[in-house]
Order: sequence, then structure tokens, then C-alpha cells
Amino acid sequence: MEKKRHNVWYKVIMAVVILIAVMAFSCCLGSVRIPVRDVIGAVTGLTEVSKATDTIVNKVRFPRICMAVLVGGGLSMVGALMQGLFKNPMADPSILGISSGSAFGAALIIVFNINFSFMGFSGLYLGAMGGAVLAWFLVYNIARISGEHDLNSTLLAGIAISSILSALITLLMTLHRESMEQVYLWMLGSFSSSTAQKTVTMAVVVAVIFPVLIFTAPRVDVLKLGREAATGLGVSASRTTGILLCACSVLLAFCVANSGIIGFVGLIIPHCVNFMRVYKMRGKLVMCFLVGAVFTLLCDTLARTVVAPGELAIGALTSLIGAPYFLYLMLRNLLRERRMR
Amino acid sequence: MNLELKNVTRAYGSFKALDDVTVTIPEGKLTVILGPNGCGKTTLLRHIVDSFSSKMPIAYVPQETFGSLSMTVRDVVSLGRYDRTKFYVRESEEDKRLIKEAMRDMEIDSFSDRNTDTLSSGEKQRVFIARALAQNAPWMLLDEPTANLDVKHADMLMSVLTGIKRSCIIVLHDINLGSLYADNIILMKNGKILSSGNPAEAVNCRLLEEAYDTGFVSAKIGDREVYVSSGQ
Repeated sequence: MEKKRHNVWYKVIMAVVILIAVMAFSCCLGSVRIPVRDVIGAVTGLTEVSKATDTIVNKVRFPRICMAVLVGGGLSMVGALMQGLFKNPMADPSILGISSGSAFGAALIIVFNINFSFMGFSGLYLGAMGGAVLAWFLVYNIARISGEHDLNSTLLAGIAISSILSALITLLMTLHRESMEQVYLWMLGSFSSSTAQKTVTMAVVVAVIFPVLIFTAPRVDVLKLGREAATGLGVSASRTTGILLCACSVLLAFCVANSGIIGFVGLIIPHCVNFMRVYKMRGKLVMCFLVGAVFTLLCDTLARTVVAPGELAIGALTSLIGAPYFLYLMLRNLLRERRMR
Repeated sequence: MNLELKNVTRAYGSFKALDDVTVTIPEGKLTVILGPNGCGKTTLLRHIVDSFSSKMPIAYVPQETFGSLSMTVRDVVSLGRYDRTKFYVRESEEDKRLIKEAMRDMEIDSFSDRNTDTLSSGEKQRVFIARALAQNAPWMLLDEPTANLDVKHADMLMSVLTGIKRSCIIVLHDINLGSLYADNIILMKNGKILSSGNPAEAVNCRLLEEAYDTGFVSAKIGDREVYVSSGQ
């Protein structure tokens, strides 16, 4: 019993099964309901389905569902790494300043109505990406002024750059009130602009970054012991931090450019995984990816079905559903610890 | 190999934490560093880690109790075997034995499944010391390891460190505990070495008064010399 409770891979397999089930369930739902059999047929091509079903599943729902999975998983992994690196349970992806950078880039494109596309990617997507790169360039270089990668400097630079960019967004919205709604809605997050091309790009990014994070994850556990103890174990704090922050930034930049700012996921999912008693960083990252993917996908499914054909803001839903569930888990855990004393 | 430090100076801005320090720390012995707050004890340990960790494995236990670790006690202790298991190699029987022995020595095996975030400072301290013991490194550096420990566990720790026959450098504030267990004592003041050698040579009332700027009296209890601050 004891072994089963602590077997991370048992939990991972369970989470994979749940994720696949939720993906199939989500594919069925929408303004047009499609039976599971047709969804499987359309995705795998094993059975023949109508052209309309094929288009809805393969061109609309499946890319969006995959994007929600990749972004939710990515945000949760970045959140777990931020909490581990900064040894702070309140850390989340936004502390790197990248979300604000993306939002600033997107706001500029919306406010000045810049219409262009490059290699099939919209100006809004590229603007958000550009903003993210600009923010990370500033944070990274400010934090490296002393020559080594200093976590405190990264944190402070991230907060400062984030504040400056948020203030600039507010100014932009105030000066261009006609665009205020569009900028605000972008900032609340949505997967409605997901296309097959964007999803494939995001999948490639995750496929490259995921192994880097998993391979480097055990070093984050060692770094929790302090710089000198890590050095004694052959782990360079500066190099590990540099690699992880860069990898997280790339992943985060793509997440935010694809979906806007989806709050709360990167903060609560690592805590939910802690409540599942998965503590070591390697297992935690895998679980965070899966749990974050399931949670974000469920929220997105609700966002696009509750008021279909309209949509709710996913950023609001993640907080509205996530916060009470998080409180429930927290209270359950506190009560369990109290009983153990 | 003895640790030879020659003319080491380390500064934080204009403040010299180590000022032209030259000292030899013998291998296979238990060396205790004594001295008032801010005299450079921790900086000396950090300098040793930075200078020698590329040449030999060093197990280091830092002074501060950490923020959120979110790991079980066993997970933290098993990090001591990181050097062997880092490429996802499973723990060998030897790894498991070392982890088990370290947890038993520090009396933490009864709560090995608990999250370290729920432990007291003293229990946490014992977990970090067990982690260093599990590393099985030839050199162990411990920065105020008894700071959060009760008398029984402080004594138990010193007995374990004496028994493992490794080279240990320990920063302590308890002069009598240090004198009782140390083979070698280094007394520091203002980033400089005031005295070093065996306890009889390196510690006496005059040297302690000079180091701590306060009066000391000593008394013989059995064959031990015990020092007490007279507060003058």
C-alpha cells in the first residue's frame, strides 16, 4: 500500500489516461455535438466520417484542444520550476516579466492596428512573441550584470520590468480607448485563435524544451540545499539556473503568444501536485504537465461550451474553478496534518 | 591530503571577511572553527568549497534553515547520492545502505515519509546533516550544525562525526563542545586566524578573551578544561 501511494509512475499513468479521456470528451462537445466514435474516426482516419465532422474535429477542435494541453502543461511546468528555483511557494511564471512583455507586444499591435503576417503567423502572435523576447532580454541582461546568474536579481528585474510594461499597457489603453476592450480580452486569454500551424509549432517547442527540463530537474532538487552544498555535489548553481531560466522563458513566450495571459495555472497546479505527494522535481514536472493540461483543457471546454456559440474568458474560469478546488485541497491537507500530530 | 590555505583574502566591498589567512587543516581529523559573529568562519568554509570542490567531493551543511523544500525526509537525504544517481541510475544497495545509516545515525528514520516543510528547525537540521553523511564524501563541512539542536542531539552529532573517521570542519559557538570533541581548533577574529592547533594549544582564557572581547574563567572538571564567560 505504502509503495503504491508513493509510486509516481502509477500516478503518471492514471493522469495520462484521464488526459486522453478529457481530450476525447472535449472533442465531442461544442455548438455541434459529435459522437466519440466519429471523433476517433476523424482523428485517426480509421473510419469514414462526414466532411463537416472532419473539418470541425481536425481543423477547429483538435488543434485548439492540443494547444490547451500544451499551454496548460507548459505553464504548470514553468510554475513548478519557478517555485523550486526561487524556493518560494508563491512564485509563478509571471515573475519572469515575460507575460507582461507579451501583453505589451500584443497591445502595441492591437492599438496601432498593425496588420501583417509572416510565414502564416499573424501580426498579433508575432507582436506578443517580440514583446516576450524584449522583456526576457532586459531581465536576463540586468540579472547577469554581476557576471553570474543571480536568482534574486532575476526576480527583482522581472518584477521591475513587469511593472514598467504593465504601466505602459495601461497608458496605451487609456490613450486609445477604442482598443481597450480588445487588449483587455487578449490579456484574459483564449485559445480561439489556435490553428493547426500554431499548434504544431507549439508541439515542436514543447518537444524540444520538455527533455531539457526533465534532464535538468534533479539539479533543482540539489539547488534547494543551498549553493555551496550543490557545488559540493558537483552542481553549478549559476549554470543550472541559466539553462532553466532560458528554457522556461522560451516555453513561456510561446505559451503566452498562443493563448494570452492565463493566470493561476502556473501557481496552483504545482501545489496540487504537491498534495498528491509528488515531491521530486522530475516526477513533479511530468505530473504538472499532465494535471495542468487536464485542468486547462477542462476550463477551455467550459469556456467555449457554456455560452456557445459565444465564449467565456478562460483566464477568469481558471481562477474561478481553480481557486475553490485549491482551497479544498489545502484544507484537506491541513486537516490531515492536524490529525497526524 | 591536508587542506592548505595560503594568504587567502576575501572581501565584501571594502569589508575583508578573510584577511590574509594562512592555515593547514589536517586530513582525517575533526577541526572546529570558533570565533565571534562576523569573524569570517562561514566565509572560510565557503572559500574551501569554492576552491577545493573541483578536486574532491565535499559534503557541506549550510547554516541557514531553508525556505520551502517540498520534499520528503528520505528524498532530501537521498540527494546525498546525487553524484551517483544523477543520470537516472537507480539507487544501488550501497546507496540505500548509506541513506538508511545516515537516517538512523541522525534519528530521523521514524519520520522519513514526512514533508520537510512540516518539521521543526532541529529536525530539519538533522535531515540536512543526514544528507551530508549519505554523501560519504572524504571531507565534511558543517556550518553551525548544532545551532537548532537540543543538548542530546548536539552531543549525538559530535559523537557520530568523531566515529565516522572522515575529515570534518565544523563551525561552532559552543567552546566546550568544540574543545571536547575536536582534534584541531581554529580560533578566528576579524577575518584572521588568532590561534590553531590542538585544543590545549589553541584555546585558553587569554585567547578567548582576545577573540570575544569579554572575560573568561576556566575550571577543571575531571580531566577537562571548561570555559565560561565571566561577562567582564
